[in-house]
Amino acid sequence: MAEYNKPIPEPDPVSQPFWDGAKAGKLMLPRCSDCNRVHWYPRVICPHCHSMNIEWFEASGEGTIHTFAVQMRGFGGWADEAPFVTAYIDLNEGDRMATVLRGVDAEKPETIKVGAKVRVEFEPASDDVHIPFWRVA
Amino acid sequence: MPSELSRAAAIVGAAEADQIGYLPEPKSSMQLHIEAIHNVSKQTGIPISKIDGIFAPGVASQIAEYLGIHPKYIDTTSVGGCSFEMHVHHALAAIHAGVIDVALVSHGEMGWSVRHTQGRGRGAGRGAPDPWSPDAQFTGPYGFSGAPSNYSHAMTRHNYRYGTTPDDFANISVVTREWAGLNPRAIMYSAETNPAGGPITIEDVANSRMISWPLTLLHVCLVTDYGGAILITNPEIARSLPTKPVWIAGAGENMSHSNMLEMEDFTATSAAASAAAAYTMAGMGPEDMEMAMIYDSFTVTAGITAEMLGLAPRGEGWKLWADGHASPGGRLPINTNGGGLSFNHSGMYGQQLLVEAYRQLSGTAEDGGFSGDPGKQTSARSCVVNGTGGSLSVTGTIVLVAD
Repeated sequence: MAEYNKPIPEPDPVSQPFWDGAKAGKLMLPRCSDCNRVHWYPRVICPHCHSMNIEWFEASGEGTIHTFAVQMRGFGGWADEAPFVTAYIDLNEGDRMATVLRGVDAEKPETIKVGAKVRVEFEPASDDVHIPFWRVA
Repeated sequence: MPSELSRAAAIVGAAEADQIGYLPEPKSSMQLHIEAIHNVSKQTGIPISKIDGIFAPGVASQIAEYLGIHPKYIDTTSVGGCSFEMHVHHALAAIHAGVIDVALVSHGEMGWSVRHTQGRGRGAGRGAPDPWSPDAQFTGPYGFSGAPSNYSHAMTRHNYRYGTTPDDFANISVVTREWAGLNPRAIMYSAETNPAGGPITIEDVANSRMISWPLTLLHVCLVTDYGGAILITNPEIARSLPTKPVWIAGAGENMSHSNMLEMEDFTATSAAASAAAAYTMAGMGPEDMEMAMIYDSFTVTAGITAEMLGLAPRGEGWKLWADGHASPGGRLPINTNGGGLSFNHSGMYGQQLLVEAYRQLSGTAEDGGFSGDPGKQTSARSCVVNGTGGSLSVTGTIVLVAD
């Protein structure tokens, strides 16, 4: 495996269950045990009802493209991959994640559709951190 | 009915640094602050020693120390380009409450010159980011590279939802450049003063370099140097000065998110809420506004914000520019200085909006103003000023009326 040359996130105690899931190929999401709503990014408090009873569950790993853009340049390792397509993904379980889309042609943005179905995959960036990316079906 | 805060204070002067734009020799951001503060003191006749409230993003205490003053109200609110609109809101409340008499809102930023001192593409004065922040963990890995790489997603979503096109929004660039052609201090004033200056067409916008699809270069604001200062005071002092007061009729602020990851609707901002507060305070509405100063970090920012301010229906903000209403001679002049797109945008642009609104409503533009440049573009007597900070995140709206 070539060395991963782009930013590698540093898990913190609150987000650790997400990164543990990612390493095992699972999309783990936080959900409030009181109001039952999913939120993203991970928090110690529910942004909907302000309960502090947060649980983790394995999500479907499916979603749709909410919006996207083509980046013509980037910093660090991303500079080598430009152009690449960033996107915000509506998760089937609710709320939204940022990503770089896989399975799309950055030279032909007109072929990429808002609303298209996507599925998560995880790329090993280090022994401990596997980063989620979303692929157009 | 206006609230009791409405017109409890007035902007009584607004001035810029001696030089703004692309400075031939770099100046520190502090020097840009100080030049503008000195100029606004001269313009109003208010001695710097009489300033008892200081408002500047992040650096209020440093400026006060530099000036050797000891203000009794210190506000460093720093939430991006709209910080200055919030400073006006806060100053209005502090003056109304009798805590202070003279508020200074100050801006100095070497957006251009910082490239010489720290290298291209490096922000000034940013501390090391928290590696555990949501930004670092959940958007940081994905190659976003600054404001354009985020705002492009809003254009894509607006195009999808309303059937608009980047060319529709390009009208904003074209019209704003027309205004710049009337302002000698604008970077893009003319082809003689800047090789990239002078009039542009929709085709020019479409054919300019792609920055972050669907945004090309001419959908994106400039990166410049700027210093600007305004003074705000109570009605009694305002009446005693040689300059004309411009009354703060309404003020409001709000936010929808900080990280774009949390933006619920990519075609809407909290300007709807901050404007509602400002209009309510003023006892006025969008139909009463005779001009507008709207943050145009990108064409899409201005188009969406015009909708949020109630100046156009949802999805149709860009038509104000396309149909000529926002143009010189139009019914609702917008961004009469040439905007962030063609006048000046130092990174945070909210102060430039306020300085221009004061110029137009006070008559200082008419008599040459502080810089000696012409610039009276409209006979408007009311103006809605809206700043946007972050990634369409935080907004401040001010309603100003002429004396």
